Amino acid sequence: MLRVIRDLLKHDGRFRVAFIFLVAILIMSALSVVSPHDPGRTFRVPADMPPSLEHWFGTSSRGQDIFWWMAFAVRNSLFLGLMTAIVSRIIAIFVGLTAGYRGGFIDRALMSVNDSFVVMPVLPVLILLSFLLKGSMSLVTLAVILGLFGWPWDARLIRSQVLSLKERAFTQTAVYSGTGAFRISLNEHLPFVLPVVFATTINNMLWSIGLEVTLSVLGLSNVTLPTIGTAIFWANQHQALVAGVWWWLAAPVVIAIILFLGLYLLFSSVNEYIDPRTRLRRIGG
Amino acid sequence: MSEFRITRREFLIQLGLLTAGSALASCAGPAAPTAVPATGPTAGPAATAVPKPTAAAVGKEVAPGVPRSETLILENPTGRVVPADDFNRWRPGIQSASTGLQQLGLDALWYIDPDAGISGVWDNSLAEEKPIYNKDFTQMTVKLRKGIYWSDGVEFTADDLIYTVDIQKKTAGLAYTGQFQSYVASMEKPDNYTVVFKLTKPNSRFHGLFTVRWSACWIMPKHVFEKQADPVAFKFNPPLSLSAYVLKDFDPNGNWYVWQRREDWQRTTLARFGMPGPKYAMYIAPGPSDKKVIAQTAKDLDVIHDIAPEGMITLAKTNPTSKGWFKSFPWAHPDPTLPAVMLNLAKSPYEMKEVRWALTLAIDIVRVAMASYRGAATISGIHVPPTGLYPKYYFDPLEQWLKDFTIDVGGQPYKPWDSEAPKRIADEARKALGNLVPTDAAEIRKSIGMGWWKYDVKAAEQLLLSKGFKRDSNKMWLKPNGEAWKIPLMCEGETRPIMNRAAAMIAENWKEFGIDSFADVRDSATRANLPSLGEFDAHLSWTIETWGGHPDLFYFLESWHSTYLRPLGERSVARNWFRWKNAELDKIIDQIQNLDFDDPKGLELGKEFVKLATREQPTIPIMSYNVFSVVDETYWEGFPTAENPYTNPVANWANTKYMFPKIKPKAK
Amino acid sequence: MVVFLGVTLTFIIPRFSPNDPVETRVSQMMMSGGQVNPEAVIHLREALNEMYGLKGSSLEQYLAFWGRLFRGDLGPSLSTFPTPVTELIARAMPWTLGLLLTSIIVSWVVGNLLGGIASYYTESRVMHVIDVLSQAVRPIPYYIMALVLLVVFAYFIPIFPFSGAYPAGTRVEWSLNFVLTVIKHSMLPAISLVIVGMGGWFLGMKSLTSNIISEDYVVYAETAGLRPRRILFSYVIRNALLPQVTGLALQLGMIFNGALIMEVVFGYPGMGMLTLQAVMANDYSLIMGIAIFSIIGVATSVLILDLLYPLFDPRVRHQ
Repeated sequence: MLRVIRDLLKHDGRFRVAFIFLVAILIMSALSVVSPHDPGRTFRVPADMPPSLEHWFGTSSRGQDIFWWMAFAVRNSLFLGLMTAIVSRIIAIFVGLTAGYRGGFIDRALMSVNDSFVVMPVLPVLILLSFLLKGSMSLVTLAVILGLFGWPWDARLIRSQVLSLKERAFTQTAVYSGTGAFRISLNEHLPFVLPVVFATTINNMLWSIGLEVTLSVLGLSNVTLPTIGTAIFWANQHQALVAGVWWWLAAPVVIAIILFLGLYLLFSSVNEYIDPRTRLRRIGG
Repeated sequence: MSEFRITRREFLIQLGLLTAGSALASCAGPAAPTAVPATGPTAGPAATAVPKPTAAAVGKEVAPGVPRSETLILENPTGRVVPADDFNRWRPGIQSASTGLQQLGLDALWYIDPDAGISGVWDNSLAEEKPIYNKDFTQMTVKLRKGIYWSDGVEFTADDLIYTVDIQKKTAGLAYTGQFQSYVASMEKPDNYTVVFKLTKPNSRFHGLFTVRWSACWIMPKHVFEKQADPVAFKFNPPLSLSAYVLKDFDPNGNWYVWQRREDWQRTTLARFGMPGPKYAMYIAPGPSDKKVIAQTAKDLDVIHDIAPEGMITLAKTNPTSKGWFKSFPWAHPDPTLPAVMLNLAKSPYEMKEVRWALTLAIDIVRVAMASYRGAATISGIHVPPTGLYPKYYFDPLEQWLKDFTIDVGGQPYKPWDSEAPKRIADEARKALGNLVPTDAAEIRKSIGMGWWKYDVKAAEQLLLSKGFKRDSNKMWLKPNGEAWKIPLMCEGETRPIMNRAAAMIAENWKEFGIDSFADVRDSATRANLPSLGEFDAHLSWTIETWGGHPDLFYFLESWHSTYLRPLGERSVARNWFRWKNAELDKIIDQIQNLDFDDPKGLELGKEFVKLATREQPTIPIMSYNVFSVVDETYWEGFPTAENPYTNPVANWANTKYMFPKIKPKAK
Repeated sequence: MVVFLGVTLTFIIPRFSPNDPVETRVSQMMMSGGQVNPEAVIHLREALNEMYGLKGSSLEQYLAFWGRLFRGDLGPSLSTFPTPVTELIARAMPWTLGLLLTSIIVSWVVGNLLGGIASYYTESRVMHVIDVLSQAVRPIPYYIMALVLLVVFAYFIPIFPFSGAYPAGTRVEWSLNFVLTVIKHSMLPAISLVIVGMGGWFLGMKSLTSNIISEDYVVYAETAGLRPRRILFSYVIRNALLPQVTGLALQLGMIFNGALIMEVVFGYPGMGMLTLQAVMANDYSLIMGIAIFSIIGVATSVLILDLLYPLFDPRVRHQ
C-alpha cells in the first residue's frame, strides 16, 4: 500500500496535487479535536474581523473564529461523504453482483428499478424527504438518505463488470465444481469488483458532499451542525457579501474547492491505476 | 457516398439551428399577447388619456412611457407574482395583494393606523363616520361617503357594500365566507348611502372585518362582479380602482406593476389629503437583499420594504439619501406584532408555570438582540408589542407594577424585571456601530424598549429543581420522569433570517443552561401545519398581533378563548397553537367582547390581561418584528418617520396609501 | 410501466409531507393581517378542502387524478388556486427551454470538438490548459461555482445583472431591445451551465478518442497521407460520437426538470423555481404536473434517440 502511494507520488502529478490537498484537509479536520472553540457557541470572539494572524480566516458576524469552525465543518462534511459512500456502496454491490450474476428476470427487475432511480429528479425528491425528516435530521440520517439515492450508476458499472467476469473460465470452473451462486459472487467476483468500488467511493463522496452543500444552502439540513454547506447558509443569513464580510463566504468556498479538487484528482489518478481493463489484461483472463 | 455524408451533416446542422432558434423564439412567445392589459375597455377615462410629455419626462424612463422623475418605485415583498394577471383580492391567498392592488387600487370602510395616523389613528375612508352599533351589538349601521367613483365612472354606493357581503356569504371559497355566514343575518338599505347589518349574535367587533390593518374586506365593484358566473375563478383583470391610482401596465411574469394617478383622483377618498404626489407608482420584485442594496444605491428603488440589518447598516454608511424610520440606529419600523417563543402547553413539562419562567430567565436578551438585529431590536417583556402607541397605552402605566412584580423562587419572592436590558443592548451595539447608537436614555427607551426579564440561570435552576428536575453527569437537565430534556426550537429559515438568528441564540442560551436545544429551521408551509396540530415543543413565531394605534386586544385574544381550544393532534382554530387554557383569561375576553371598541374600560381589561399573562408566562415575549423599510430621498421626500409618524412606511401595508398625498418631488 | 410507477410515486410521496396545502393557505390568510374570527378559520378550512378536491380518501383522489390526466387536464394548482397547472408550466417552460437548450447544445458541441482536438493534438499547449481547467472545474459543486461567478461578475465587477431574466419595467415583447436584454440577463447563468457542461463533454470525448487514435484504421489513414483535419473529424470524432449523443439525448430529456439550483442562484423564472415553489407549498397538483412533463421528456428523448441512431452509426443503418 505504502509503496503504491510512493510510486504514484513519484510518477503521477495529479496524485501529488491530490495528496497535498487531501492531507491539508485531513489535518484541518483532525485539528477540530484540539479546537479552543465550541462550534455551537457564538460571540466568543469579536465579530466581523478580517483574516489576521490571530484569526487566520477571520471571524464571522456570529462572533466565531472561522478557521476553527471550518475545521469542524470539514470533518462533518468528510464524515457525511464517507457514510453516504458506505451505504450506497453496500446497495450498489448487492444490486450489481446479483443482477450481473443471476441475469434473467431478476436482472431486468433490478435494472428497471435502477433506471427509475437514474431518471428520478433527485433534488426535488430530496427536498421533499428533508421536509419529512426535518425534526430528526442529523448527519447520519442525511447520509443514509443520500446513500439511498447514490447507488444506481455504480450498480450498473459493477453489473457490467460481473457480466464480463461471468464469461471467464474461472467462473465456469467454480460453477462446475458446484459452488453456489452467492459464494461465487462473494469469493470470486467481489475481489475483481473492489477496485471499481474503491474508485466510485471517492466519486460518490464528491456527489454527496456537493448535495449537502445544496440542501444546506436552501436551509434543508440541520443548520446547527457545522458543514461546508451550513457555513454558506449562515453567511448568507447575515448578508456577508453586502456587509463586506467576504472572508466568511470565501473560506467555505475555497475549502470546498480544495476538497473537491483533491478528491477528484485522487479519483482519476486511482481510476487510471486500477483501470479494470489494464487489470484484467495483467491477470491475463 | 461522399454526397450522402454531406447531406447528413447538413441535416444535423440544420436540426441544431432549428432547435436553438425555436427555443429562443418560445422564450418570449406565449407571454407576449397578454402584455398590454391596463387600458382595456373598463379602465375608464383616466387610463385612456394620453400622458402629455413634459420637459422632465424627456429623461430616463422606467417603463414604456413612464418617466423616472414622476415615478415612485417600491418593493413588492411578495417577489415575483405567479400568476401575474390575477387580481381577485377576495380569494384567500392571492399573490398580487401587495403589487399596489390593496395599497393604491382598492378601498375599505375604515383604516386604523399602527402609528399616529394621518388624521388620528382612526380614519373613516369609504364610510363617512364610525360604525354605529345598537345597545346589545346585534346591529351595525354604516354611513357611506357620497361622490366616490370607481375608475370606470360608476358611482360607489351602498349596493357595492351589500353585494360584497352578500356574494362572499353565498360563495364558498371567498375570503370572508365564514365570517359573514356566522355573523350576518340580513342587510337593509334605508338609502343609497346607508347599510344596516343585522347580526346573528352580539358582536362588538364586527366592524373589524372592514377595518384595514394591513388589509381587510375590500369593497367589490358590483357592476363588474355580478356579470361573472364564477366569482371565485374570476381574475378581475384589469382591476377596477376605487382609490386614487389605476393599473397602467404590468409584466406578464409578475416582476413589476405600474399604477397611474387617476385623472379624477378627486373623486376618491384620498382626495381629502390633497393630490397624491407621484404620477406613477411602480411595484417591483427586486430580488435578494444584496440586490436591493445595489438597486437603492443606484437610485433604482425608492422604497425598500425590508432588508437584513447588515443591508441597512451598509446603506446607512454608503448611501446618504437612504433613510429609515428612526433617523439613526436602530432605523427599523417596528411592526405592531410580537414574535414570541410559544411553548406547547399541552405537552409536559411546559404545562408548569415554573418551567416556563425558568426558560425565560435562561434567555440572555442582550445576546438575542445582538445576534438577530445587531442590537437594532425593540424588545418587549410583556405580551403586547412595544410599538406604535402601545408604550403609552400599556408599558408606561404598567412599569411600576412590573418593577414590583415577584415570582416565587425557592420559597422567596423574586423580582425578575430588568429595566437595564435596553441600555446594555445599546452599549453592546455601540461597540460595533459607534456613535450611530444613541446614548440618550429617553431615545434608547423609545427605540430599544423599556426592559425585559433578568438573565439569571441561578434562579432558573432553582425553579427547575423545585419541580423535580435533575442534572445528569454532564450537567444536562433531566425531566422529572428521568428522561433527557430536548427542545427543538422551530423557526423560520431562508426567508426571514432575523427569526432564525434569534432562535439560534435562544437555543444556544438554553444549551448553556443544560437543555439539549437547537434551532429547527423550517419552511413556512411546515410551520403552518405542525403547530396547528400541536406537533412542536417550542416555536418562535407570531401569535400576538395588534392594531398598533388602537389599544383593543380583541384582535388576537378572541381565538385564545377556551371555546376554540383543541387537543393535540386536532387542528387548532386560529392563533392558540400553544394551547393555553385559563378561566381568568376567558373572563377577560368575554368582558372585552361586551364592550364598545372605544370604551376606555377595554384598556383596563387589556392591562388585566397583561398582568395575567405576565404571571402565567404562557409564551415568552421577545421583541417586535422590526422591518427595515428604507426610503431613498433622491427623487421624493416627505416619507413617514418616527418624528412624523403619519402612517406605516412598510410598503405592502394597505395603510401606505396615506403616504402618497404626503410625498412630493424632492426640492432641488 | 416506468411512467405508471413514476406517476404513482409522485402521487404518494407528497402525501407524507408535513406540509398541507390547505393549512398553508389558512395561515397565509391569518398572517396577511386582517382581523380573522376563529369561526371563519373553521369554515375556510372546510371550504378549501372541498375546492381543492382533497375530500375523500387518497384512493378516490388517485383515481380521479388518472381520470383527469387521460382528458389532458392537470387540474388547478393548489398554491395559486384556481390557476391551471398547465398555465403555470407554460409560463415557466419557455425560459427553461431557451436557456437550457442553448447552453446544453453549445457546451456539447464545443466540449466534444475540443475534446477530440485535444486528444489528437496532444502537444498543443492551449489544449493542455483547457484540459487542466476542465479537470479543475468538473468536481466543484455547481452551487459553489455559480455563487463564485455571481459574486465576481455581478457584484465585484458588475458587468452582468445580479438576478432575474430582464429588468423591472421591461415589457415582454418581440423587439430587438427586449431580446438583447434577455440575452444579457441569461449570459451569466448560461456561462455557468456551459462551463460545467463543457468540462464533462470535453473529458468524456478526450478519453473516448484517445482509445480510437491507436486503432488500426486511424494509423492506416495517417500512413495513407490524409489531411489531419479530415482524420480527426471523419475518423476519430465521428466514431467516438455515439456514446456522447446518447448522453446528450438523456440530458435533453431531463431538461424539463429545469436547473433548480441555477434558477435559485440567479433568480431565473423557469421550471426549477416552479418545482421549488411546488414542493415548498406541497402543491400536489403542480408537483404531479411537473413530474409528468419530466417523465414524458425522458421517454421522448429515448424515442428520438432510437430514430436518430441510424444517422450516426452506419452499422445500425445497415440493419
